[in-house]
Parts: sequence; structure tokens; C-alpha cells
Amino acid sequence: MKPGPFDYVVPTTVEEAVEHLARAAGDATILAGGQTLMPLLALRMSTPSIIVDINRIDALKGVSRTDEAMRVGAMVRQYEVVESEHLKAALPMLAKAVSHIGHHQTRNRGTVGGSVSLGEPAAELPACVVALGASIEARSARGTRRIAADEFYLGAYSTVLEPDELVTAIYFPHWPTGTRTLFCEVARRPGDFALVGLVGALTVESGKISHAGIAWFGMAATPIKARRAEGALINQPISSVDAAAVANLAIADTDPFDDHAATADYRRTVALRVFSRSLRETMRQKA
Amino acid sequence: MSAPPTAAGRYVGERVLRKEDTRLLTGRSVFVDDVVVAGMLHAAFVRSQIARGKIKSMDLAAARLLPGVRAVLTAQDLGPYSTQLSTFHMRDVGGPRVRPLSVDYVTYVGDPVAIVIAESRYIAEDAAGLVLVDYEAEQPVVTIDDAKTGAPVHPAWESNVAAVDQTPDNPDFEKIFAGAAHVVTGAIKHQRIAQSTMETRGVLSTPHGENELTIHIGCQSPHAAARCISLTFGMPETHIRVIAKDVGGGFGLKSQPWREEIAAIAASMVLKRPVKWIEDRLEALTSSNAAREQECTVRMAFDGDAKLLGVDVEYAINNGAYPHMPDAGSAVRLFFPGPYRLRNFRFKGHGWHTNTVGLGGYRGPWAMEALARETVLDIAARRIGIDPIEIRRRNLLTAADQPFTTPTGIPMEDVTPLECLDQLLKVFDLGAFRAEQAAARAEGRYLGLGVATYVEPTAAVGIDPLWSDVAQIRIEQSGKVTATLSTHSQGHGTETTMAQIIAERLGVRLEDVSIHQDDSTRGGFGPGAAGSRQAVIGGGAAIKAADILVEKIKRIAAHVLNANPDDVRLEAGLVRVTGTEEVSRTMCEIAQIAYVEPHRLPADMEMGLEAQYRYRPSSYFTHASAAHACIVAIDAETGFVKIKRWICSEDCGVLINPAIVEGQIAGGVAQGIGEILLEEMSFDSSGNPTAVTFKDYMLPTEADVPDFEYIHITTPSKSVGGFRGVGEGGIIISAPTLVNAIKDALTPFNVSWEHIELPLTPSRIIKFMESVAA
Amino acid sequence: MSEHQIQTVINGQNVQARIEARLTLSDFLRVNVGYTGVHVGCEHGVCGACTVIVDGRAVRSCLMLAVQAEGATIITVEGLTPQDGALHPVQRALRDAHGLQCGFCTPGIVMTLAALTAGDERPSAETLINALSGHLCRCTGYQGMRRAVKALAAGELTERDHS
Repeated sequence: MKPGPFDYVVPTTVEEAVEHLARAAGDATILAGGQTLMPLLALRMSTPSIIVDINRIDALKGVSRTDEAMRVGAMVRQYEVVESEHLKAALPMLAKAVSHIGHHQTRNRGTVGGSVSLGEPAAELPACVVALGASIEARSARGTRRIAADEFYLGAYSTVLEPDELVTAIYFPHWPTGTRTLFCEVARRPGDFALVGLVGALTVESGKISHAGIAWFGMAATPIKARRAEGALINQPISSVDAAAVANLAIADTDPFDDHAATADYRRTVALRVFSRSLRETMRQKA
Repeated sequence: MSAPPTAAGRYVGERVLRKEDTRLLTGRSVFVDDVVVAGMLHAAFVRSQIARGKIKSMDLAAARLLPGVRAVLTAQDLGPYSTQLSTFHMRDVGGPRVRPLSVDYVTYVGDPVAIVIAESRYIAEDAAGLVLVDYEAEQPVVTIDDAKTGAPVHPAWESNVAAVDQTPDNPDFEKIFAGAAHVVTGAIKHQRIAQSTMETRGVLSTPHGENELTIHIGCQSPHAAARCISLTFGMPETHIRVIAKDVGGGFGLKSQPWREEIAAIAASMVLKRPVKWIEDRLEALTSSNAAREQECTVRMAFDGDAKLLGVDVEYAINNGAYPHMPDAGSAVRLFFPGPYRLRNFRFKGHGWHTNTVGLGGYRGPWAMEALARETVLDIAARRIGIDPIEIRRRNLLTAADQPFTTPTGIPMEDVTPLECLDQLLKVFDLGAFRAEQAAARAEGRYLGLGVATYVEPTAAVGIDPLWSDVAQIRIEQSGKVTATLSTHSQGHGTETTMAQIIAERLGVRLEDVSIHQDDSTRGGFGPGAAGSRQAVIGGGAAIKAADILVEKIKRIAAHVLNANPDDVRLEAGLVRVTGTEEVSRTMCEIAQIAYVEPHRLPADMEMGLEAQYRYRPSSYFTHASAAHACIVAIDAETGFVKIKRWICSEDCGVLINPAIVEGQIAGGVAQGIGEILLEEMSFDSSGNPTAVTFKDYMLPTEADVPDFEYIHITTPSKSVGGFRGVGEGGIIISAPTLVNAIKDALTPFNVSWEHIELPLTPSRIIKFMESVAA
Repeated sequence: MSEHQIQTVINGQNVQARIEARLTLSDFLRVNVGYTGVHVGCEHGVCGACTVIVDGRAVRSCLMLAVQAEGATIITVEGLTPQDGALHPVQRALRDAHGLQCGFCTPGIVMTLAALTAGDERPSAETLINALSGHLCRCTGYQGMRRAVKALAAGELTERDHS
């Protein structure tokens, strides 16, 4: 399982990187953490003629705070999210989700940007960006754009990114104080793809749910925003939510499939249960 | 904690630290891919992408022209080396003719049709990708059901029956069932398993001299590998040297060099260059002979007291296209009656060829006997209304029943499954568990207890290569000990266990004993690791050879010290006379006399301190016994099975090293857990394998395995040393133990367990939990 | 297919090489530099046998290109044992707990545990066990490894062992 031949470049600026992507006219692949790309290269399922390694681009690293959002550089490694007390406090859902990605060893290399831009149907981070209403900053030789998370994913491993675009950062909008986090992942073994996954943020103000952002992973080809469930929760008193009813609404937006790991029926059955339970647990959380 | 290595005292029975660990822990081990030879070339295979069809043409031109490619060889190019393979049995066992490379017809996805030899594996794979093969595809036969009616996988054959195995006809057999108080039926469909040794297969073949070969290969015995290669190519063994210092797991996969290894060796001879082939994991999961794909239906007849009257088994096993040996379950038949008071047994087994990669050995190949028997016994217990433990009490052979001969002619003596069960129940409070289980059920939590009992026919000789082992021991002039044995380890720790035996017998320190088992030109033939045989047979050879030396040393010392040989003791590296403790000689001094001072030896004595013994155990079978119990908790929300506790109560006779014994059991139980919950080699209807990486083929991780508890009973065997094997037992008994626990946990759901399909995935378990009428 | 000059520090030694872009770090370490203690079990980043320490962190070397190691400091299992042959506490813990059988998965596990125990703070048993979940072993059922992890977390082995 050796990769096929390719050219390799390692730019140190975003400008250089997007220049390479433009010149490659669709036959370049970006190498970030490598935890997904390397197996694809080994299996020769990916055979680019040029690999653009973005690991040395300092502008892609680091986390900063603006008035509206936390800006997480695409090359922020997953272990940084897990180990940073600061990030755990600022982005609790992210920290929780990332600690479930793969294993300790893969998180030492894997990146936030890599996972977000891959669009793995059973991955945690795409669901997080959708749930939290994040936006994805992408650059190309043609310019920069920001894409809303709920417009970013088209299908399994398929996003709106053009072949010449590079994700440079993800902007996580600030959620108000009093936001509680839902997280549930059902996976056979630690680090496995989720059979069913759920992330959510619920802001409770004066005992009522003022903001809700909920997304599934592993329940369709893309992360699924549980819009109907969100709608049902807004303005509800947190103490009197009918978790089972909301769970049914949440399932209604999903489109799970049969695969090697589990059946669609299984996913629906289990998703319903874990949603109800997670919601009830969130209701019981202290402010 | 483990015993310190420096005390020169009793070693057998101690948790001695392993001698091989230092090199394995520090990266100084030598696995086949670690060996580098000047001028070495690398191989990759061109493999069929279809499961069945004729090869119309092969275009090798572009591949051959790729820079760095030395050759692309087809079956034709291998010339006389394109020859029938030898199997582990080292004689013709029937079955389809199988060559290293297929000639003009492919019979499974992954079937190798050409070998590329290049300067690096990278280039070899590039070139393999440039080979164009034009196939005329045919409809493949994939499952056992397909095989029954599908066109013969091997065109010259009349059907897909690979083998048939059955008990002799008995017209009165059905009467037993007709008249029985209870008749219980259960069927199990077992998925295909990939052995998944962490080190894949591999070989480095170096031709040299006059038609000689030096071969490094992942194997389970260098001698067996050399013999297989010799038989395959018609070359004398004297021209073949096989070296295997460290091997990363065998489990039956590496019992013989198979198609790819032989193709690489053949290529090395054609090109007169060293050729290395290291299987990658994709190949291992798709093109290595695999195991366990079986269907088994069991009917059990009981009298009113739940005593077994008769057992009737129908069995089928998928042999794939090229099994290592055609199999219809003869070992399943032989061992199915197990340690039970059963007199009437019927078995009908079929092996079926399909267009899938062939059947290979995997730890405890006959394990279906325990899985089927122990799960159906449980079903019977519930049907009849008694506890699963009680049904075993009523039917297991007691000491008083033995010796007992099973209906399949297997002698049962010194088997102790009942004693193992009793000891297990001493550390497990059954009543407390049932109370806890009831309370949990009331809260919607599902705990289950599974129990199983069995015997393992270890060191079961009768398969031609397995009869004996040889030990050659010599005491060096320094007094240290060199031993060359026909044992082999792929993790078994025989470097340590054999050293423990020898050090104890000779009264020397463990660290002064070196064990060699890695070179086919040294020592004598043995089949190495197979059939849980090495403690019994290798250990026996070590004891007997050591005892020859002990006798000689005593005679020399008695002669030199003017004493009676019966009063001479060997301990702590010294040779002492009882009663005159201060008068002693070191082993070194005795060795000096033996090698360079012949005038000081007894008149009739040959010089030197070397001895050899080839040991064959007196018993055809050396049974180990066990009872296992496990507790599971099934998550009602997700159907996940969590194993909360696992107790292994076993009798493997005298233990050489309890830590190594426990390691063997633990590894096997983990594999059993994998079989029941996680692992599956699957195919689509076109015969394409669909679990081709470790993401889809799920091996148990640390999180899947509880801490095991062990109880050791030691009923010495009749073999010298009193050992019994234990290598395969863990995987055999664990599977039914776990299935029974899951069944017990799901009792409130009225599941019909008449058809069990493995693995018991969360999807399947959730379905079971939905089967209760609302 | 591009070739690149790289410079790394491997087990304390400066190593320079000219290599193809597609050469994996695991193959580079094994074949070009000769550290065959790095074992390759799957080449797709699941089994963990190839784990080495890169710039202080345990990584799967089959999931890095050798060119990416430019300027990095790498430790393989061979680099844990100093000239005098003393065993690293992780090696000793595994040996004492009978945590290996065939030894093929072992170097990867040694490196994960060595990386996590390298700092001043002793990691919890839970942290170490969680990291073990990234390793596959077919021989041992993970029993001895767990015991070794508990001993390491409890700080039972601090001195180097010259056995």
C-alpha cells in the first residue's frame, strides 16, 4: 500500500498555496493533518499529481477572538483544542467533539480545518460547525469568501469548495452566556466512525431557550441541522420541554443509510433514544 | 510481580520474565521485513479484480518498461517453479491443484496472476497498476448456499463439494430422537474471520551457491517451511535454509508458505536475485486464506432428567477456492461430543468451494464444536426449565466416568471440566448475581451470565508432522547451556518456557540457558506451533534431553568426587554430593573435564556434554479442560455489549509459566470476543471483499476486553513433565461463553435463539430487543 | 515525481537524505535510516505499530511523509535505550507485566506511553489507557499492557533498569 508518485510543494504563505492550487487546475490535493489523506494515498484511491502541504503556513495557525466570533485557524491541531483550557472554555462543544475524533495519536496531527473541509458524514466537526452556525473562510487566487456552515456541505465528502480553494479559518460565532452543550456519540470502539452522533447548543435565558443549534452526524450523507427540533425548542421553558416529541422532530430531518457498520433502522431507533436522553440531561444541567 | 531472573532454583511454575522481551521492547528484534540483503528486489502482485473468469490476455509491456522494474513474471515465466503447492500436512491431501500464480483462469478476487519484481515496493506497485488483464468474467459462487447449486468453481470438477465427512450410517439413530422427552434445535451461522496477525505474511528469498536458498519467512516452524518448500519445488531440504527469528503472530495462517510466498521464492530462482515480498494489510484482509465461515445445525435429544440421549449435527464450511486443506469438519466431528456423557452422535459435514479466497487455519479450527454445543445446551436448559449450570452438572463426565471413550473414538481421561466449573463457582456468587440481575431488569438494565465448559485436545498427534519434537542440548565449556529445539514462537514464549525447563533440570541459572529455534539447518525437524502442542511435546523433548545430560554429569561428578551418582545433585550451577556439601564442582569444571580432560572421565564414557532426544508423547491426545463464565451488560439504548467480568477456570496440567499460560488464554479470549461482537470478512454478491481495511474489519481494542480472572487447576498429564497445551483454548471456549451471556441478558425479550447469526452486532441486538410483543 | 532534501534529528543524530516525496516516514525510518524497530502493521493509520515521537508527540509514522519531517526531532524505540542498555521505565513496565507476546505491536505502544510519560507531570492511568485504544494487539488481549499502564501511572517505576 504505497502511494503513487506525485510532486510535492510546501508553501509558507497562503498566497503561495493558492497559487499552486490554481496552477494545478484541479489536480492538486491539500495535505493538512494527513490522517485521512495518507490512507487514501496508500490505497491509491487518491492519485493527485501534486500535493500542497500547508503545515508550514503560520497564518493558518492559532486562535483569535473578534467581537463576533472565535477565529480558529485551519491548521489548529485537534490536540490543541483538547488540551487548551482557554479553548475548552470558549468553545466547549468543540472541545468535547474533538476529544472523540480518532485517537490521541491522530489528534496529534489532525487539524480542525482538515476535518471540517473533508465532510466525512460520520465526523464530529462538520456537525459542530453546522450546529453552532459557524462560517468557513476559504481563499483562492481569485479572492476570499466566507461560507455559512449550513450551505457548506453538499454530500458525503463533498463540499462547495472549488478545487483551487483552501480553507483558512473557521469562525465560531459567540453564543451567549448560559449556553449548554449537548454531545452524544455512539461508536463501536473509541475512535471509530460514529453510528449516530449529535451535537447541540442551547442557550437558556430566564429559564427559556433563547437559542438552539442542533446537528446530527452519521445520520445522512452530510451533517443535518435539526431545524424542526430547534424551532420547537425556541422560547420553550427549559424545564417543561417534551424531550420525546422534540426527538421525533429531530429525526424527521435525517436520512440515515445502511452501511457496513449499522442499518438505517438501527440509526433511527438509537438516534431517537439518545436525542431524548441528551436533551433531558441538558435540561437538568445547572445554569 | 514476577520472579527475579537470577535465582537458580525452581523455574517451572514461576512467572519468570521472558527472555525475548528485551529485544522485542527495544527494537532489536528481527522480523522478516527487517532483514536486508545486498541486491534485494521487491515484489508486488497483479491480482484479479473479479471473482471468476478466464484470462483472455495480459498486457505486461508498459509494466516491464517502467524504470526500476526488473521483471514481470506470469505462471508461464516461472517455468518449472509454477508447481503444485505443499500444505502443512506435507502430503497430498486432495483438493484442487493450486499453483503460485494462476495460469488462465481466476477463482477469487485477489487471485494472483503475475508477480512484479522491482527496485522498491513503490515501483513494483506502480508497475502492477500498469498491467492490463482482459478477463471474460463469469457469474461467481460466493456463499455456501450459492455453492450448492452454482457452477463448479473448479471447472474440471463436477460440483463444489470440497469434502464430505460423516459418521457411519446408523439406521436406529432417529429412534433416539423420536422417543426423547425433549428435542432442542439450534443453528449458528458464523461469519468469515481474517486471522489478522499484526505482522502480515512475508518472505525474503536469497538464492546462492549451487542451487541453494536462504529464506527468511514468517512461519510457524522453520523446519516445516523448509520441508514445504522442498516438497513444492522438488529441491532437497539440504539446499534450503529457512530462518525465522521473530514472527509477529501465526494463529495457523503461517503454517505453510502459500501462493505468494512460493511465487516470490520462485521469482528469486528465476532471476537469481534476492526477492522480498511483504504482504500489505489490504492483501492480508482480502487475499490471505481466511477462516471460520460455517453453518452448523445441532439437534439435541434429552431424557426427562435433562440427560443427553443423542446429538445430531449438520455442518457446512466455506472452503473458498483454494483451501490450505479441503475441510468438511472432520475435527469438528471428532471433538463435538466433548467432555460429555454422550453415546449417540451423528455428524454430516460438507465443505464447499466458492469463488472467494481459500480457507486457512485459525486458532482452534474446530471451535464450532464448542460454540454450537455449548449454546444449544443453554437453549436446552431454558427449554427444559433448569439452570445452564445444572444441565452441565448432569451431563459432564465426572472423574468416576473416566476413562470414557466418546462416540467418535476420542479417549477422555483426566479431564476435569466439572472441577473447573466447581472452582469457578467458588469465586463467583451465582445467587448474588441473579439477585443483581433481577434488580437491574426492573430498572431496564440487562445483565447476563454466560457459562461454557469444554475440553481442548492439545498436542493431539496423528496429523503427520505433529508427532514429535527434538531437543539438542549442549553444555558449553563455560558451563553455560545452548539448546536447539524444534519448537518455534510467534509470540508463544518458547524461548523462555523451554529455558525454564532446561534450567530447572540442569540446576543452572535461567540466564545461562540460550534457546535456539529459528534455523532449519540447526537441530531437527518439528512442526513448531500448531495444535497447542509445544509445551507437551517440545517440553517433553527438553526434559528428556536434559535428563540425559543430568545422568552423564552425575556420573562424571561421582567419578571425580568418589561418590555414588545417586547422591549427586545439580543446583545453582553447581554439582554437589549430598552429605558433603562443601565438596562440589561447578558446571564449568565438569564441562572442562568432559571436553578436554578425557583421562578424568569414567573409562567407558564418551567425551563431551551434548545430548539429543526426540520425544513423542505416549497419549494420542492430551486434553486440557476449562470452564469460563462472563457477565455482560447490554445497553438498552444502543444494543452495545459491555463485558463486565470474565473468569477463566482451566486445567492445563503442570504450568511452565503461569504468566505465559494466562497470556495465551487472554489472547484467545480476546479473539473470541472479536468473533462474536466485531469481526466480519464480508463479500458482496460479485465476490468482492467489502471489509478491506482495519476501519471496516474491526479488531477488539483495549476497550473491548475486561480484566480476566484466572483459576488454575493442575491435573498433571501423562506426558513427561505433566504439561497440557493451552494455546487454542481461550478462543474456543470464549465464543459460546459470550453468546450464552448475551442470551441470558436478553431473556426478558423472548428471543428465539434457534438461528444465531454472527457477529452479534448492535443492530442485531436491538432487533432482538424489539422482538417482544408490544 | 519530486525529490527533496531533508534534514532531521533522529534518536539524537543528525540525518540528511534526499528522498522522493511519496516516501512515508515509516519507510524512511526503517529503510533509509535503518530503524527497523518501527513496525508497519497496516499502512492506513489504525493499528499504531508504527508510532514514533515527532517533536515530542506520538504520531503514526505511516501517516506522515518523510519530507514532512524536515527540521523535526524524531525518536524511535531504538532511541529510548541509551548506550548502557538500561531499559526505559515504559519498557520495564511492559516487560514486568508480561505485556507482549509476538512483539510486533509493541514498539508503537512503547512510544505512545513514552511520549505521554516524558513530561514532569505523571499522566493518569485513564489518560494512558485512552491512548492505548489507538493500538491494536492480536496476541495479548491487552491485559499486561493495562497492568503496565497502572504501574506507570502509580509511579512504581522511575529508575532505569539495567536488566
